[in-house]
Amino acid sequence: MATRSIVILVIIAAIALAVPPFLPRSVVDLLVFSCIYSIAGLGVGLLLGQCGIANLGQSVFYALGAYATAYMTVTLGVGAAWGFLTGVILSGLIALVIGWPVLRLTGHFLALATLALGIVANALFYEWDWLTHGSLGFGGIPKLNIFGLVIDTPLRFYYLAGAVLALCLLASANLIGSRTGLMLRAMRDAPEAAKSLGVNAQWLRTRIFILSAIFGSIAGSLFAHYGSFVNVQSFGIEKAIAFLIIPVLGGATSLPGVVIGALFTTLVPEMLTRFGDLHQVLFGLTLMATVVLMPSGLMGGLASLSRYMTARGRA
Amino acid sequence: MLLGLVSQSLLSGVTNGLIYALVGFGIAAIFRGAHIANVMQGEFSVVGAVVVDVLLVQIGMPYWAAAIIGCLSGAALGALIDVVFIRRLVAQKAPDDSYLLFTIGVSITISAAVLFLFGREGHLLPPIGSGQIFIVLDAVVQEHALWLIGISVILMFALRYFYRRTTLGMRMSAAAIDPDGAATIGIDVRAMRTLTFVLGGVLGAIAGILITPIIPVSYMVGLPLTLKGFSAAILGGLTNPLGAVAGGLVIGILEALVVMQMSSAYKDVVTFSGLILIMIFMPRGLLGRAGRAGG
Amino acid sequence: MRRIDRTRLVAAASGLALLGVVGPVAAQTNASDPIKIGVILPLTGAGAGLGIPSRNGILLAEKQINAAGGIKGRKIKVVIEDDTTNPDAALNKANNLIFGEKVVALVGPIQTANTVAVGGITAPVKFPQVALGGLGPAVELERKCVFHAAPPQNQNARAMLAYAKSLGVKNAAALYDSGYGTVVWNQLSKFAGEYGIKFGVTEKFEIAATDTTPQAAKIRASQPDAIFVIGVTGVPVRAIRQLQMKQPIIAAIGQATYEIVKSMGDAAEGVVFPEFLVPEDPLPHQKAFVDAYKAEYGRAPKSIESIAYDALKAMSQAIGKAGPEAGNEAICAAMRGPYSGNSTEYDFSAPDMTGIKLNGFIYSKLVGGHFNRLPFKNAE
Repeated sequence: MATRSIVILVIIAAIALAVPPFLPRSVVDLLVFSCIYSIAGLGVGLLLGQCGIANLGQSVFYALGAYATAYMTVTLGVGAAWGFLTGVILSGLIALVIGWPVLRLTGHFLALATLALGIVANALFYEWDWLTHGSLGFGGIPKLNIFGLVIDTPLRFYYLAGAVLALCLLASANLIGSRTGLMLRAMRDAPEAAKSLGVNAQWLRTRIFILSAIFGSIAGSLFAHYGSFVNVQSFGIEKAIAFLIIPVLGGATSLPGVVIGALFTTLVPEMLTRFGDLHQVLFGLTLMATVVLMPSGLMGGLASLSRYMTARGRA
Repeated sequence: MLLGLVSQSLLSGVTNGLIYALVGFGIAAIFRGAHIANVMQGEFSVVGAVVVDVLLVQIGMPYWAAAIIGCLSGAALGALIDVVFIRRLVAQKAPDDSYLLFTIGVSITISAAVLFLFGREGHLLPPIGSGQIFIVLDAVVQEHALWLIGISVILMFALRYFYRRTTLGMRMSAAAIDPDGAATIGIDVRAMRTLTFVLGGVLGAIAGILITPIIPVSYMVGLPLTLKGFSAAILGGLTNPLGAVAGGLVIGILEALVVMQMSSAYKDVVTFSGLILIMIFMPRGLLGRAGRAGG
Repeated sequence: MRRIDRTRLVAAASGLALLGVVGPVAAQTNASDPIKIGVILPLTGAGAGLGIPSRNGILLAEKQINAAGGIKGRKIKVVIEDDTTNPDAALNKANNLIFGEKVVALVGPIQTANTVAVGGITAPVKFPQVALGGLGPAVELERKCVFHAAPPQNQNARAMLAYAKSLGVKNAAALYDSGYGTVVWNQLSKFAGEYGIKFGVTEKFEIAATDTTPQAAKIRASQPDAIFVIGVTGVPVRAIRQLQMKQPIIAAIGQATYEIVKSMGDAAEGVVFPEFLVPEDPLPHQKAFVDAYKAEYGRAPKSIESIAYDALKAMSQAIGKAGPEAGNEAICAAMRGPYSGNSTEYDFSAPDMTGIKLNGFIYSKLVGGHFNRLPFKNAE
């Protein structure tokens, strides 16, 4: 079984590496966004899958990363690394300060609290235009330059964002496999028992919230460099909902599911735009159908499909 | 002039608060009867209002007939969603997030369908009554706002009565709280859930019809209405119509006071920060009894 | 004229030679193929109210250009893409049009965010682009190939202030949204002094706000001479009139569409806009456009349609001047200069990349749901 998953993983990695150079630029562009959204969605997925928390505030940290990068590179004119670093530190701190009290809430209260957080932050992004340049936004964020290689084409950026995504996935897989991951699942599935074993639930949840925020911030910084512009309209409630759709659609407890969810939410609407005004209707229907036909997410759907195929193969 | 400002702000806070509560009624009803956090409630209102607009303004039907058909369309939509989709999800024992995602899908679909079929313009329905204007304490009061306030309050008590005193209401609650137990004493759990969605659809449509003389209905208003209605319902404890009114009024009046006393630029910031604080410090909901409040 | 054309051609050609193969030079070699021009518009999403009328204006311009023989005997073909009012999607569509479809120039998008996003791709390769919104953030001043067919917000603000001054307004109030409204408001507050106007109560609301009564109540209490309203919906105007305020309302061009006016209901009566086209009473040179548009679509065009129409016509003229194969920078160079549009007089070589003067605005007032052109005109 383990060897089989490794083989599948290697095949997928090979496809992800080898195919994009032969794809049209606009498709590669969509893949870049899939990678960026996967990173942000991964954070939401960890919270949902490991802690059972529905986070509707990921757009806040995505925005923080993007604004940190814009402010550092454009307003202050320092190197790109400072943007990433500031975004990550800021997001981590804010997640700590806000997460500590808010994560005491449970269930729908918590979901509403994260939603409220997103609304508050979005209003502040409009208001603090000395920092965010309000609805005009920032332009002219420099392209990333890694050891002299300027990341100025979608293809180059795809490899960069893909590598970052792979690192984030690896880190998450490690976390889930570790003692912390075990405690998290214990806490999610049997909170009383976990408590009696001395698991500090609130601190554990806050830590995952911070990690989720950091992923969001990294995604935001990447986005800022890729588009070379940052505007408050990119950080609304719709984005927060999209970041939640990604892991839910993919299957919240599955890490690869997040990538599949992100591919779905970037590629499917694009394929449907040719139907004009009808495309949103079709996207909504696709979403509904996917949930009803694959209640454990696309990843779960794939798994049962493969089980079905294996069973048929044996018969 | 200052008196006018205060009374006008409070009036608009109360009106908006009850608008949120009206949307919150449906969210509370569906949560009570099916334990589903439903993000599509605002769309029921949009459908109800759009149907009435077509019948009343474009076909020329009398108001009462249009309103009844509008409510029926909400009911039909609710029933359709339950029978075609929710039943399958329940049969598959789908996890909670599936329902959330499903209702997001419904909300996207309905909003886009309204855009496709009815265009993007906002439509206003004529107000109930003669559209008179009263001056109360220096504030301008539209007659329709009074109707909206009155009907909301009546609806709140009617729902309370329905859940507490009628057999059907109690059966609906029982079917959701303990489906197996309810089934053993002869309650048709499946039918009760369908009725829950019918009720949610009708409440949504009524809300839409009452709101639309004040807020133009368009494909875009569903989500904002849902968000505010959700906030109102959760604040009030999620299952209780009385709570939805309390939650709605808190949000509406808070918003109005922030604009009046502070800066309108920070309206959302203060309102929603306040919301977070209320939840942290009053974790059992505003009415204090909703032990399961968090969901 | 002819001689200028030739000089420009020579300049363009030598520019191209110097540049070598910098940037994607058009791949069209077959002289009978149509010249492809890319268009990015918000056809769905929140901006569709602007995008769809713009598409109509562009398609009308395309039809007229082709009916008149196209560019140098070659037909043009607009390739329209929907950015769904989302900057990320606009970026993707621009990538597709420029590198996939290999269009020679770009018209659109409309929203500032989307325009800045697309400019990030077009500016480095000096790709000719004419956006349908006004100049955005400072970075756009350096983007000398991203032209704008609509006025920058400082001009919109001055146009509103000038009209208020003509009414003798001294104390004004403002009600504006957090997006577009704030951008215009910043300019209004900057120039108000020049027009002898003081802003007392100024109130803000969210872009998609469904109720602005508390804000309007505050304005009512301050008893201003006139109220400036900037937003993209009819909500604020309705709130003001519902509180029985009778002061003149001066609204920004973004609200001068039949859809938004309809959503204002009876409250629309008497609202004044500085804008560019009043189909009920067009300027003499605008009549042909209004008639052609009505014949094509069965409804009247407004400023938005006219601006989009001008954008494609101006870009086509530049392509004609430079030659469809002349390459990015040559077409850009050909764009820089005065252009007599249907909406107004442009000068695309101006620092704000549009060159619309205050006397290029016309003013309309709503009476019974129709726009009436006012005699008021700015000097200059």
